[in-house]
Amino acid sequence: MTRRGVMKGIGGIAALSMSNATLADAQAALTDPLPSDPHTADTYRSIVDAIIPRTPELEAELGPEHVPGGLDAELEKFLIWDFNHFQEIRSEMVTENLDGSGVGMPRAMFEFTLDTGGLGSDLDALLDLADLSLLDLLDRGLDADALEDFLTFGALDSIDVSFADLDTEREGVAAFDLTVESDGEVYHQVLQNYPYAPVFTLAFDLVAAEFLATGKNHEPPAPNDKFPAGGTFTQLAPKDRLRCLWTIVDGGVLDALDDLLSPMIPDVGILKFVVMAVNGLHGFGYYTEWSGYGSTKTATPNDREMEVPAGEVQSRQQTDYPGPAPGYAANWRHAVPGGFKDPKAKNLNLPDDLAGDDVIDGLGGGN
Amino acid sequence: MNDPDVIVIGAGADGPAAAWKLATDHGLDVLILEAGAWHGNKNWPQPHADAGGTVSTDPADLDGKLLDEQFTHREADANDPTWGYLRVGPADHSRAPWFRNLHQNAFIWQISAVGGTSLHYFANHPRAYPYAIDTQDHWPISYEELVPYYQLNEEMTSTQQAPMTGKEEVFIEGATNAGYPLIDTKNVTETGWRPQANAVEVPGRETSNGQPLDADYEGSFSYDDGFRGDTLVGDHFQGSSTPVDAPVRDKARKSSNVSYVPPALDTNNDPTMGNVAIRPNAYVTNIETTGGPGSIEASGVTFRDSWSGQTQTVEADTVVLAGGCIESPRLYLNSGLPDDGWVGKGLTTHWFDWVVGVYDDETVAEINPEGEHMDPYVGQNSAVRFDKPGVGGMEDIGMSPGLVSYADYLFSQAGYSFDTPVDPDEPWDTRGYVVGEELKRRMSDYRQTKALLILTDDLPRQDNGVSLDNTFSDEHGAVPKVKWSPHPDDDAKRDELCRIAARIHKEAGAEHVHRCDWPPLLLHMQSSMRMGKVLDSNAEAKNVDRLFVADHSALANGLGGPNPTNTGQALALRTADKIASLYF
Repeated sequence: MTRRGVMKGIGGIAALSMSNATLADAQAALTDPLPSDPHTADTYRSIVDAIIPRTPELEAELGPEHVPGGLDAELEKFLIWDFNHFQEIRSEMVTENLDGSGVGMPRAMFEFTLDTGGLGSDLDALLDLADLSLLDLLDRGLDADALEDFLTFGALDSIDVSFADLDTEREGVAAFDLTVESDGEVYHQVLQNYPYAPVFTLAFDLVAAEFLATGKNHEPPAPNDKFPAGGTFTQLAPKDRLRCLWTIVDGGVLDALDDLLSPMIPDVGILKFVVMAVNGLHGFGYYTEWSGYGSTKTATPNDREMEVPAGEVQSRQQTDYPGPAPGYAANWRHAVPGGFKDPKAKNLNLPDDLAGDDVIDGLGGGN
Repeated sequence: MNDPDVIVIGAGADGPAAAWKLATDHGLDVLILEAGAWHGNKNWPQPHADAGGTVSTDPADLDGKLLDEQFTHREADANDPTWGYLRVGPADHSRAPWFRNLHQNAFIWQISAVGGTSLHYFANHPRAYPYAIDTQDHWPISYEELVPYYQLNEEMTSTQQAPMTGKEEVFIEGATNAGYPLIDTKNVTETGWRPQANAVEVPGRETSNGQPLDADYEGSFSYDDGFRGDTLVGDHFQGSSTPVDAPVRDKARKSSNVSYVPPALDTNNDPTMGNVAIRPNAYVTNIETTGGPGSIEASGVTFRDSWSGQTQTVEADTVVLAGGCIESPRLYLNSGLPDDGWVGKGLTTHWFDWVVGVYDDETVAEINPEGEHMDPYVGQNSAVRFDKPGVGGMEDIGMSPGLVSYADYLFSQAGYSFDTPVDPDEPWDTRGYVVGEELKRRMSDYRQTKALLILTDDLPRQDNGVSLDNTFSDEHGAVPKVKWSPHPDDDAKRDELCRIAARIHKEAGAEHVHRCDWPPLLLHMQSSMRMGKVLDSNAEAKNVDRLFVADHSALANGLGGPNPTNTGQALALRTADKIASLYF
């Protein structure tokens, strides 16, 4: 596809050599911590807000430092950065062969365009991409009408993922062009990895539509002023967002949606790992000193620096952890006077019944 | 080193141990090829930003202060699986990690670097339960045969009983109140609790002012000021480069880059010994062989420089796979070597769980009248344990808050605690992910929270393991596809251990006990290339002569539950002796 209109941002490597960017664009990109389209940002913001919300109600009980949440530390940027650096694709491993026969990964596995700007619904756009009909959905046990009612990608009008100047004859990291059109604005990035972050958000919207279609929600969905660019997923109540993610792990939803997701996600099965990650990254991001990297927090790792003392980072104040130290003056003792008994091998005299206590006898927490 | 006698693939916990023994005791020349970075070596002053040198053979290249700079002790710098300095991936940190295809709610935690996954370990060095070696029928060798190698390894790694600090005293109170006795042997055949056997020097072996290291100590913790030994910092997952300023070999915690790499390089200065060269940033992509079907032997390897992309083939008389439980079978399979059904299979990984206790200040003060606190970041990360041979074990754990929030509340297979009912007959109060206001409330109690890690004995099963992925390939070939799920017997054992853990917490006075119900955490991996199936009793591949395995994948099972480093290294030392006696 041709590159469209306005360039909102350029990320990743090779911005100069691999795109039509001007030097000024590239320099702007270097100072832009994380250019991402509004649909992507709002989707991750809605997850962060469900897991680590602002909690004014804790102020009286625990103190004012316990009020701010993950969005105050811009944790969504951590998630987006991590998923966009999740998997490098090598040019020499890609084949132009469309059917996947022979050696290498077919180019088509990593390229797609989803355009919701046509006359139909967002589900129609997805069906068109997957080359499926409404009847095909029935075969998969899906309620097409309900899915169509519930599915929206919010502000996202189109997304295009394609290789940037792929040369399969040359060894090296393949770069991707990611172009998202949202409410008439175009967001473009050149990334050196598959742009999983925006792609996963499409999966979350689709899974959310199926979640609603099957009535698994506990609260009714509603447009969310907090995340105006988000799709179906962000319209769920906070706990329902998490319940929805859980259907990916424990609900068989991927089996039903596999054909709809696979044009966008090269291997749909990894979404189960992704659910582990979207939860766990709050530990790796929020509760570490990551937010203390300040303006460098989404720079490449070599360029990240602490701008806030570890003990003064928002989450550190909430845990009362002072940060790493070279040592601690603390009382200690040895529990076995004189050290463990350890005869030479020939004097071991191990008992006959090495298997120890019977497993079944032990059930219930006895000795 | 263009003409080594032995090539060791991988400088993780075990490869350097084998190399040290081959060169020191058998006079052999060894080339270690490591896929990841080398920290604390002058030839690579910026290992994640610049290609640096090519190979190191001189112990004077090692630089402890450089290691201090690179291991910042900060959690985010260290542990992030995508970009931390302790990750599986190329040294170049502008690149993504090496991809593994995992279709599970699960997490693989390994490190590619000189030192390997031992760079972030808690240094727990228990031996296998003797029953797991002698009565489980998997092992072609006896426990007694391993004991001298355990003893040698424990000497090389300064393994000794871990110190009891505030959090351990709380555990001991609970275990004692629950009626469990103290175990005073390393050869554990009965149920009880004991201090960990840890590969960490004694705390404050020497101090800067000659005063003992206790709560009144006000001296420096710098090696340059005279401090020696453990500094009681619980930052081992961040690399634990302490005492600060110490030379690499005098860092208190004995990761293999501290315990085995320096003496391995020392062999180059001793004319009576062989030589050891270590080349980081070198990813082995093929094991070269000679001979036809039915009788082939390893003759060398081809590797790829991860910075330049250049490939090179090196010949050797024997090849030792030590790339770990995922990369060793992956390389074997990507090399097209004969597989009779067990290569990569039978992966064991200790069916972990995590039981969290939150304590109130008064309870802890009663147990620790001098300390009056239980800060989880003070003392060694894991200094006391419980053992129940036949079932598994557990460990008392303290960590910094990022790791605590992940492990205590954000890693579960039970769903979210707000939807997860708790069986009233079970001894825990909550179960599953903890999020929202409740997460923040729990984390506000971080300094009075500690967890017990459950280590369930699991057995090798052919359904679990590593295969070549048919969707993705990277510059080294097909990526590994990893799968592990527990057997119902494992679930029953794990449930039992969790109940005991909850009981120990409550007997110590915990006000709230939470069971995480972890999904698989692939950290203690063993036996994907195991002896008795893929390997013979010398750890030589049954179908490829002169190809040995000296990493945890050679272990025949999960050791009954104890942490595998001590046994993996002990077996690697034995395998070095076998290589020498068979081929040199």
